[in-house]
Amino acid sequence: MFSSSFISTLAMLFNFSLRNIVRYRRRNFFLFAAIAVAVGGTTLSNALIRGWQVDMLETAVSGLTGHIKLQAPGFADDPSLQNAFSSLTPISLGDNVPILGFAQRINIPAVISSERETRGVALVGVDPANEGISLYRDFVIEGEDLGGPEDGRLLIGRALAETLQTRVGRRVVVIMEGADGKSRERGYRIAGVFDAPMKISEELLVFTGLEAMQAALGNTQLRTPITELSLVLQAEEDRGVAQRELAAQHPQLVVKDWREMQPQVAEIVDLVDATMAIWFFLIMSALTFGLVNTLIATVMQRTRELGMLRALGMNQRLLLIQVVMECVGIMVVGVIAGLLLGIAMVFGLGDGIDLSAFSESVEAFGMSTVLKPVLTLEDLLLFGGLSVLVGVFASYFPARRALKISPLMAMSR
Amino acid sequence: MAISTRLISPALQCLTQVARRVVLLNLALLSMLCSTHASEKIDVVALVTGSIDQTRGLSSYAEMSMLIKRPSWQRQSTLKAWTRGREDALIRFVAPTRVAGNALLKQGERMWTYTPKLNKSIRLPGGMMSQSWAGSDFSYNDMSRSDKWLRDYTLNHVDTEQDEGLAVYVIDATPREDAAVVWGKEQLRIREDLVLLELTYFDQDMEPVRRMVSLAIGELGGRAMATRMRMQEVDKPEQYTELEYLDMDFDVDVPDRMFTLFSLQSGRSR
Repeated sequence: MFSSSFISTLAMLFNFSLRNIVRYRRRNFFLFAAIAVAVGGTTLSNALIRGWQVDMLETAVSGLTGHIKLQAPGFADDPSLQNAFSSLTPISLGDNVPILGFAQRINIPAVISSERETRGVALVGVDPANEGISLYRDFVIEGEDLGGPEDGRLLIGRALAETLQTRVGRRVVVIMEGADGKSRERGYRIAGVFDAPMKISEELLVFTGLEAMQAALGNTQLRTPITELSLVLQAEEDRGVAQRELAAQHPQLVVKDWREMQPQVAEIVDLVDATMAIWFFLIMSALTFGLVNTLIATVMQRTRELGMLRALGMNQRLLLIQVVMECVGIMVVGVIAGLLLGIAMVFGLGDGIDLSAFSESVEAFGMSTVLKPVLTLEDLLLFGGLSVLVGVFASYFPARRALKISPLMAMSR
Repeated sequence: MAISTRLISPALQCLTQVARRVVLLNLALLSMLCSTHASEKIDVVALVTGSIDQTRGLSSYAEMSMLIKRPSWQRQSTLKAWTRGREDALIRFVAPTRVAGNALLKQGERMWTYTPKLNKSIRLPGGMMSQSWAGSDFSYNDMSRSDKWLRDYTLNHVDTEQDEGLAVYVIDATPREDAAVVWGKEQLRIREDLVLLELTYFDQDMEPVRRMVSLAIGELGGRAMATRMRMQEVDKPEQYTELEYLDMDFDVDVPDRMFTLFSLQSGRSR
């Protein structure tokens, strides 16, 4: 493509650039350091923001939503057993869309009372064996776990147990709407008290065996009524395909993915990408001014040298290439150092930042109490590449300056 | 009068007049037995239902005053109440003017409240039943239960005491396993003339939580009954609610329309 003479010219220019960089050690060291710290800091902050995003997504999905949830059409307006549907086993989506697991539940509002307090909760009938896909798997349980779908005891959250001033082995009264639409009151014994990553789950969720709950709610026309089926895929990206397929398989049901179930989380997850870009450009534009300033100074300082090169026959194009090369060279070295610094800082954080001191405000953002940075190769490449691009852009001004230098100008200095 | 027990003791059940006499007869026989035999032989179910029925007729009308006492304030109000059978009741505040017209209607297990200021009747949802009624120490639950007493509890006679020369039976009512009752147990003290002297609610550690005590016993409408009762939480001795019967009639003729939503809102006091 290029003639060998052109390549050797480029090699010579590269040599020039390298020497120029090395020549001003002190100034360029500070420039490197500025770039490295900026890129490193951006990498770390982006990793934290990305970690927050991933965490929120996981929290949203591992709540009771899953990637995809199936419900009866009227359930959103009237969450009761009148809007239940019949159990759907087996669920199959073919080999292209591998499923991690699914859980069928009854999830209806209820009121729970102890001797001293009364609270509104979501009473969820589950088969504990299928709940490996939800937050249920992360529970630390005091007392006993539910024995199975036929277990007619309750599993309540730590926060709720404290509010109700009750504990494992005690009885509480649950009021819920039965299959006939009439309210049903019943005494339940507490099998266990769970600790969940988020306090809101501890306050709001009460679990009992699915079959026991079906029996307690009375008969519907359905043999095994459930109010929701939530499905977790192996790859989140498959959810569009899975959603279409499930909607085709079960036209009588409403099939929603987690973005529709939890639009606020979806919005924030999208917003995070924009935040990262804005953050990056803020830091980079500040850096660009420094870079431009330094390079212009370098060029001005070398007026006589550049003028001599022109006089010796170096054309404008080669001069341009040389200045850009110098600029990009500084940027590349700085960015690589910065990325390494950022990666080191991320690993230095290790298990993440413990935010439990601010747990309430943190949970308002749908996060768990440990913020764990997440590094992705895409992010590193994207920001590394963009930084170099910024370097090219920044070299425009000094290069323009350099092009204006003529041998005559150099001689008049 | 009927409303009293309905108001105050959860789950008091109504029997007919005839049944009441049978129970009285039984108890008379039983108390004779008691003097010779171990006191555990008494028929607790008959005793409890008899006690309930003592303050209740086929229908009733009562006037009463309620005193709500709190550490920093107290409030006295006057109410009228009508009952019919075991299911229906209407309670209406008549004084002071600020609360007059506020009313509560009970039809079986269902209850409505009416507030004249809002001109609206509200059906009480299940979740609100354990909350305070009209700011007092009574809950809606205390007033709504009708036949739960015998359905949801196991009754045991645990002790016999003496009061003014009459035997007082102490009865533990333990809720059945899946009963919709939060208490560990409830303990009743019923005098042999069927006056309920005390009702204590225990939590599941068997610590007393709430207690209703009869402060005065007299005769109203031709029956011996507690005429003044105090309900309070055990750990808050400085606040309580007292209910005093001023007048009461049993087996009066209450029109059917009394126990309707229309009547609840009309604010008519007889």
